[in-house]
This record gives sequence, C-alpha cells and structure tokens, in this order.
Amino acid sequence: MKDTPLSNCERDFLLKAIEDKKRLDGRQTYDYRRIKITFGTDYGCCFVDLGKTRVMAQVSCELVAPKENRPNEGIMFFNIELSPMASPGFEQGRQSELSVKLNRQLERCLRNSKCIDTESLCVVSGEKVWQIRVDVHMLNHDGNLMDAASIAAITALCHFRRPDVSINGDEVTVYSPEERDPIPLSIYHMPISVSFSFFQQGTYLLVDPCEREERVMDGLLMIAMNKHREICSIQSSGGIMLLKEQVMRCSKIASVKVSEITELISKALENDRKARKAGEKCGFAESMPQERITALKTDETPVEMTDVTERANEIIQKAEPPLQTIPSLLVPAPGVGQVGQGLQNTWGLEEEEEEEEDDEDENSGEEQKEQTKMMEEEHDEKEESREGHVVQLSDSEEEEVVILHPETPNKTPKNAGSATHQKGATKSKRRQKK
Amino acid sequence: MAKQYTSSFIDKLTYQSNRSVMEVCGSSNVTLREFGCEQSLLSRPDGSASFIQGDTSVLAAVYGPAEVKVSKEIYDRATLEVLIQPKVGLPSVRERSQEQCLRESCEASLLLSLHPRSSLTLILQLLSSFLNAACMALMDAGLPMSCLFCGVTCAIDADGCIITDPTAAQEKKSRALMTFAIDSAEHRVMTSSTKGSFSVHELQQCIAVSQKASEKIFQFYRDSVRRRYSKTL
Amino acid sequence: MFSSLKKKVGEVLLPGDEFSYDTDDTISLTEHVKPEKVVCGPGLRRSGDRLLVCKSGVLRHKQPNMFWIDSQQRRYVPAKGETVIGIIAAKAGDVFKVDFGGSEQASLSYLAFEGATKRNRPNVQVGDLVFAQFTIANKDMEPELVCIDSSGRANGMGVFGGGGLLFKVSLGLVRRLLSPNSEIHSDLDQMFPCELVVGMNGRVWVKSSSVQQTLIIANLLQSCDTMTGPQRQELFRRVQTGAL
Repeated sequence: MKDTPLSNCERDFLLKAIEDKKRLDGRQTYDYRRIKITFGTDYGCCFVDLGKTRVMAQVSCELVAPKENRPNEGIMFFNIELSPMASPGFEQGRQSELSVKLNRQLERCLRNSKCIDTESLCVVSGEKVWQIRVDVHMLNHDGNLMDAASIAAITALCHFRRPDVSINGDEVTVYSPEERDPIPLSIYHMPISVSFSFFQQGTYLLVDPCEREERVMDGLLMIAMNKHREICSIQSSGGIMLLKEQVMRCSKIASVKVSEITELISKALENDRKARKAGEKCGFAESMPQERITALKTDETPVEMTDVTERANEIIQKAEPPLQTIPSLLVPAPGVGQVGQGLQNTWGLEEEEEEEEDDEDENSGEEQKEQTKMMEEEHDEKEESREGHVVQLSDSEEEEVVILHPETPNKTPKNAGSATHQKGATKSKRRQKK
Repeated sequence: MAKQYTSSFIDKLTYQSNRSVMEVCGSSNVTLREFGCEQSLLSRPDGSASFIQGDTSVLAAVYGPAEVKVSKEIYDRATLEVLIQPKVGLPSVRERSQEQCLRESCEASLLLSLHPRSSLTLILQLLSSFLNAACMALMDAGLPMSCLFCGVTCAIDADGCIITDPTAAQEKKSRALMTFAIDSAEHRVMTSSTKGSFSVHELQQCIAVSQKASEKIFQFYRDSVRRRYSKTL
Repeated sequence: MFSSLKKKVGEVLLPGDEFSYDTDDTISLTEHVKPEKVVCGPGLRRSGDRLLVCKSGVLRHKQPNMFWIDSQQRRYVPAKGETVIGIIAAKAGDVFKVDFGGSEQASLSYLAFEGATKRNRPNVQVGDLVFAQFTIANKDMEPELVCIDSSGRANGMGVFGGGGLLFKVSLGLVRRLLSPNSEIHSDLDQMFPCELVVGMNGRVWVKSSSVQQTLIIANLLQSCDTMTGPQRQELFRRVQTGAL
C-alpha cells in the first residue's frame, strides 16, 4: 500500500513555520514530545509512547552454543520489526532500507557500546550461553522511530529477568520463576539515542522530528549517549555537510535530553518494581486510560448458565445418533489394507468441509453435521446479501428504496422478498432514466 | 430463543440433566475476567482497538478500503489480509493458522462485496483472544459488516469442569480447549477451533456457555460504542 | 418499519442490528394500504424484507423518510457529487491522477477546469492541491473528478493552497463542519477569522493571518473531534485569551 503523498502546500508551510521557529504541535525547537513508558505483565515487555509514535519492545532469552571466537560471552540479538500496523507504507516481512538502518543503529547503540555485561550470560564456557533477543515492534509511526525504539529496548532490557541456572557437574538446571527468583541482566550504562533533523542545508535544527517534519528534512543526525555524557554512537545521514560547531551543539543538547530520559526510565522502573512487590496489578490493563471517551472497562462478570445443560441436551437429542457401523477391513493383496464399504474413494467430496474441522473429534458424526448445517446457513446468508446486491442499479450505492407493505401479503416471506426486489429494481431503473 | 416443548420431552431433559450433573460442576468458574477496550488509539491506521482481558491484551489495527496490489485484486470483492505479529520472533506456522482462522471469521461478517478491488489489512499484535480486538478494530474503521462477532474460549479441566475465559495456567492444566467465534445476530458459531479430547455433550455445553458469555461481550461492545458517541448524540 | 426506525433515531446502533417490518395481523380489504417508503443512507442495507445495520454509529433521520448512520470513520469512500481535497499524484497523458485518500486514485481531466481548452492547459503541478467534485464514484469504476460545475464555471473549485496548511480530521468532524448552521463553524468564525477549505474526505486546509494563527486553528480543529459544544467553546475562549 502506498503512503499518502505530501503536497507542495504542506512542504512550503512546514519550511516556513520552521523558519519562524514554529512547529506543528506547538513545541519549541529543542522540545521532546511527551514520553510515556508502560510495562507488560511479564518481565521484559515495555511500551513507549513518544507523542503519537508508539513502540513495543519484548526481551526473551534462550540457551545456545556461543560463537567460536568468543566462547564465554553471551549473544545479543536485536530485531526491529516495521509492522504494517505502524504505517501503510511498511510491508510485512520485507527488509526495507529504513528497517536495516534502524536495526544497525540500534545494534551500534546497544551492542557495540558494551552496555550489557555479556560475560555474565555465560553458563558453560564454550558450550552454553544465554542468547538475549530484543524484538522491537513499531505500532504507530509518527516520526522519530529510532529514539522511541532505543528507549523501549533499553528499558525492556533493564526490566527483563532471566531464569536462574545452576551447574552440577555436567548438568545444567534451569529453574522456573516459581522455584527461584529470576535474575536481572547486569547493565553498565543506558545509551539513549537522540535525533536531530536539519532543514535548509543545516541552517535550522529540530529535536525529535514528527513524521511530516521527517518528510521535508534535509539531513538527520543521531547521537547515542549515556548519562555520563559518553557518546556511544553517532550517525549522520541524508548527505548533509555539518560544521564542527553544529555537532558540538547537538551533543550538548543530547546530554541534557539523555539525562532527562534516563531519569524518567529509572522512575518508571522503580514504580513498576514497587507495584510488583506490593502484589498490585500491573500491566496493560492498569495502564489503559480510564478517562478517555474511546475507552471502556468492565469488571469480572459471571456468566449465568442455568439452562446450559438443557440446551446442550436438547441439541444432542435432536441430532441423529452417530453411525455405529464399523467399516470392515478388506485385504485385496498382502500388505495392502482397505477400509470402507464400497471401494471408492470418498475423500475428494469431503475435503472442502474437512479443512475447518480438522481438529474436531472425528468419531462424533452429529457434531460434524451440526457444523455443516451452520456453514450452510452462513452460505445462505452470503447468497442472500449478494442477491440484494444485484438489484442496486443506481450510481451511488447509498440510496436504496425499500418498499414496505408489499401488496401481496399472502405469499411466503421469501417470495415477498423477491417481489420487492424486482419492484426495487424497476423503481431504481425508472429513477435513472429521469 | 424460547421454544415450546411437549411434556414428555421435558421429562427426558430432566433425566438427562440429572445424569450430567457430574460433568458440569463448579459453575463458579464460569466467569469472564474483567475486560476493557480502547478504540482509535493509534493515529495512523483507519481503525484500531486494544482489547484487554485479564492479563492478556491484543492490539489490532485496520487499513482499508485501500489500494490493492494487482496480483491480489479480486474483481467483485475486497481482499482481506490478516497479519498476526507474535511478541517474540518472526511469525511461524502457528501464527499463519491463526491468521487463517481469523480471516475466515472476518470474511463471514464483513460485507466485502461493497468494496471490490480494494484491500483491507488487519494487523494484530500480541496474542490471545484476538477475535474481540479484531472485531472492535473493524468496527472502529467503519467497514460495512453484516454482524459483529466475538471470541470465547472454554477450557475443560481434568475433573470435567468447564472454565470460560481461562488464564494461561488454567489453559495448561486443561484437558481440552475450545475457542468459538460467535456472531451477534443469532448467536451462531462462526468458527471453532479445538484442542484436546471431549465428548459431544461437553462440546454442546461449551457452545451453550459461550453463547451466554457472548451476550455479555456484545453488551460491552454496545456500551463502549455508546460511550464513544455519547458527545455527538 | 418507519415507526420502528423513528423510535431508534439518535440511538447508537451496531452492525448486525435489524429492523423488520411489523406486519399487521389484520389487513383491511376495503382500505387501500399505501406502501411506505424509506430511503436508506450510509450504514443501512436492505436484505430481503429486513433492514440491516452495517456500521456502528448514531441513527439519524431527515424529513420525510431518510435514515442513515452517522459514524466516526477515518477512511473515505467516494460518493457522487461530494467535493474533496485531492493531491495531484501524477500526470498521465491528458488526465491527472489525484490522491484523495480512498482505495484508488481518481482521474481528473485537464479539460475539467474552468476555461481550459486543448490549447490552453491549466497550470497544475504534481503535489498541488485541488478542490474537486466527483462525477463518477461507485464501487466498480475508477472515480472521476472535475473542477467545474454543470455550467462550466469553477464555482469555488480548482487548484488552491498557497501558504496554508493541510491536515486530516475524522470524517464525522468534517460533516459537522459542513452541515448548515454548524456550531463549530460559527464559533471558529467569531474567534479566529480564517480561510477554510473542507473536503468531505477528511482533509481540511486552513490559512490565516500568520503561521502561528494557522497552527492554532489546525490544532484546535484536530482536538475538537470528541468534545461537546460547551467544552469546545470553553477551549476556544481560553485559547483566544491566550490562557493556553
């Protein structure tokens, strides 16, 4: 699917607004949008909202054999998924240029900066190490995916707990969370990426560009930094020439932003830890906004089932008993068996219905019959709607004339229906001629 | 759904139900966990919804009717694509089969013929009772549908008790697991997917329970839509 | 059916809800029964002798017998006669391809502008905005736009958009903006004078005295989708006095 094109008018207006130091959502040049961090019920699941941009990160782990050249280091694996949910322009399962760029940047930001102690992930040197996998899913794209992804990934890594293991001779035991408390990863520092977009060949600079600003920008500078003001990676793209002073200025801004964001992350982690300790409910259900008009929640509701048994019995009563005949086995030649009354293959006929019911209990005949009946009814319904459809002759499908009280009330409903159909058709034909 | 029975029939029924008391016990398990939803929470998609039921949550987004690839174009109806994204890793066979199951349910309720030569894309993130989130998202996108649907999961545990809307732990312990998609018009079963072994009787009981539970969910749909439009009435 | 529909006006309906006509038990032989007629708008469909709701939203009624469902959809489906804001996506021979946010691009002939002839082509570039009307819009055919009315006049249509901002709002808000004597429109008119172009496809273009003012109006309009009248007026007033 194609994305909506950007009109000249939008482009001109945006550039003019940037010259006036104005932004679409009323922010100042160096402002970030509102950042919200929420956690899932299980460890290592984190949602980040950056304005309307929304990203989810999930960390998982697995015991694998280490790389040959690094026998006592754990493996980090990053995967950024540009889900078509985020933008109609993203395609499922295709590595686009953007996803490669984001993936590479995230790896540089989190793996190459050695922020995670990979040696502590070694279980048996040269044989078993933990592989930590970080999946980042983009859920809504409104610009600056990289910053949101980096915040989500590092927060999820901080939140994650891996199962405890013990080594007894050659035996490695992995304990479930109930047996032994899972262990957090050891993280040295938290690199966070900050994006700067440049306009008019570097004359203007914006922090945290939104989607429309990203579309008109000339160049992008991404700086990953930790709160100790150490630059972990720096990347300039878009083919723009930057002056030394500009880069220095950006890194100064980045250091301020990073310390703010780091504080926010630690606060969010702290809140979640407290909530979990106190045994409160945590996760999405709690993070859902209650005050919004589009949101609604109900409490646990009991389902009344007084006549359920009767209903079930009634249906079984009505259904025909299953076929009791046991097909006889026929052996036409040694080593070949045949089951069935006739010797004809009936598989071809049943195949269509089999598809949906593969997992149904095979020996209950009437249940299958029930299912097919339902499917037939569905078919009927489809047929009907299509029938109603053919009648529409008018140009815009929105106008349809329904005649009530057809003059032939004695007929069966079905016939009456078709009669109105025809009348409707002639009516709309006449209307067209006018 | 009221029906008239002859007296002999009722006798038979009571006999039957007495016999099956052993099978349906612990009706206290027949509850739905608390559930919530939020519509239009994402800005880019045409329709989106998140559905939370107990500890599980699903996010669904719909794009469409939109441009369709020539190779996927169908001349008399819209092409429906369903994509399910697992939380961890890439989509596997399990996701594919769930996608197919969901697509068939949606196709049954959507009036696809109203938008020929266009594409509808439904994307879901995080798994479990995805049917409800999908239906809410389709409704939010304003796509023409002949009826709504909802998903109800029933588990039968080792003692033969029916548990509706089981938690992950209950699911693991259960003997059989059934998921039904039920339509809103006549509460019929649109899709069923089952795991494990169970008797015909148990199946029918589960269907009946699910139909009962679905009423609650449909009422919830209605309440949430009513809330949403409360300011434009 | 008329009465049962009438009863539900202003209520929220969901797909799958049905109306069937209430047949009288006794039919008078002497009196001639006048057939009732109901015109169904978007969101209502006839299926046999029933009337099906196929979109979620509020049931609306207009005299004498029109009914439709008012929903807050975001994707636009073209309808004949509606005016939309399109973006010129490409030039293809003697037609322009226009993106209007629907399922396919519409075609707009270069002759369908006021005063355009084979020699005198209109000056339209890719990426320009056009305000145009649908002459063909049905589910089976490529939609077609024109920038002239039936008498060949522009009548407000054509290329526009210098210096203003284009943004998207929900289709429900656009309909409320365009409805005759709409409150939002009059509120806006009093407090923030501006040039406004509203397309039925949810696109709104706004231009005001300054960039700042334009941005304020755009953000206000985007936020007043889920607000009641008093809430909106309160917001407008506060913005005007500079409280926000």
